[in-house]
Amino acid sequence: MAEPAQSPAVDGRRLRSERTRRRIIEAYLALLSEDLRVPTSAQIAERAGYSVRSVFERFPDLLSLRIAATDHAFALGSAQAAVRNADGDRSTRIRSQVETRSRTCESWLPLWRALNANQGESAELKLRIRLARELIMKRLELMYRPELSVLDERARKHTLIALEALTDFESWARMRELYGLSIEQGCALWIRIVDRILPPTPAR
Amino acid sequence: MPASPGNVEIDGRRLRSERTRQYIIEAYLAVLRENPRVPTAVQIAERAGYSVRSLFERFPDLLALSLAAADHAFAQANAQAVIRSADADRATRIRTQVETRGRTCEQWLPLWRALTRNLHHSEELKVRVRRVREAVRLRLELMYRPELAAMEAVERQRTLIALEAITDFESWARMRETFTLSVEEAGAVWIRAIDRLLPPTPVS
Repeated sequence: MAEPAQSPAVDGRRLRSERTRRRIIEAYLALLSEDLRVPTSAQIAERAGYSVRSVFERFPDLLSLRIAATDHAFALGSAQAAVRNADGDRSTRIRSQVETRSRTCESWLPLWRALNANQGESAELKLRIRLARELIMKRLELMYRPELSVLDERARKHTLIALEALTDFESWARMRELYGLSIEQGCALWIRIVDRILPPTPAR
Repeated sequence: MPASPGNVEIDGRRLRSERTRQYIIEAYLAVLRENPRVPTAVQIAERAGYSVRSLFERFPDLLALSLAAADHAFAQANAQAVIRSADADRATRIRTQVETRGRTCEQWLPLWRALTRNLHHSEELKVRVRRVREAVRLRLELMYRPELAAMEAVERQRTLIALEAITDFESWARMRETFTLSVEEAGAVWIRAIDRLLPPTPVS
């Protein structure tokens, strides 16, 4: 039996509702990037151009909004950080990985900070943070596979942990906020230290 | 001149008040270590064995208490982290520095998180966090002086930023919480990374 087609009115409503939802998420993210304080529902509603009631019709509470924003960022961040040059030479792989990672840090630092500050309140937030970290580790493993393959298991794990710490959001934030480095200078620093941390590339 | 009975009484009151203040700070730190959420006045007072009113007689608000706790921690951490082996060989210096820093991170991570989470609430908090960072940096400069002395200014600054990033509180926290490394294993990760980040030690 054929599925009954949905009426255009229902489709239109759903589309509008989706759009409203997305604008609220974007308003939340925009406010976060301007001020580290967690935005209030009134601020979010005002920025999105809706009423507070509209916000709470889409999200039962601010935690749900935070989770939805995280998922939105995760999807966007993954799309922006497509794997490139995984088979390039050492310096190409390091540069490519550093550039991708720095873009992610530059775009999503405020959200990352908000998530970390509030992870105590929700297992779902914790799960998302863990997933993001796992993804970063997998990416590092993929990009530096030749160098990591020459290390024994313990040394490989230690190297990965060090690489992850050195190219963490807060490491990026410190370079940009505390030391006033430009994006290019920050990348140059990361390229240099990743190169030092990695063992020599084995001959093919 | 012998102290008058009035003076003795005042001294006794002052001493008791100081002790109460100290107990409240320690209660704040103890509650923080058990739960990463910022403790409430009721929780702190209960742990210290005083009334909430007593707490607010000593500290006008919880921010003032967290500032006092930061000062207390800074003094304690400085006393615990006396400089050792600054003139020793490379391996000894790295190991000593890592052990000291690891202990500091292990002990003061919950407070550090509480402070950095509320950074935007107070200029005074920012001053404290900056002071801690400066102390960490000075210690790194002192412990790795021979290796850093051999570098030109930009490279030295890059290396210091990298050393600071790798031995950051959150880097330690991730090793202990996310990767569930023991204190010894986490120390081994840092030792390995620092050894790779530093240039060869010049022959003296």
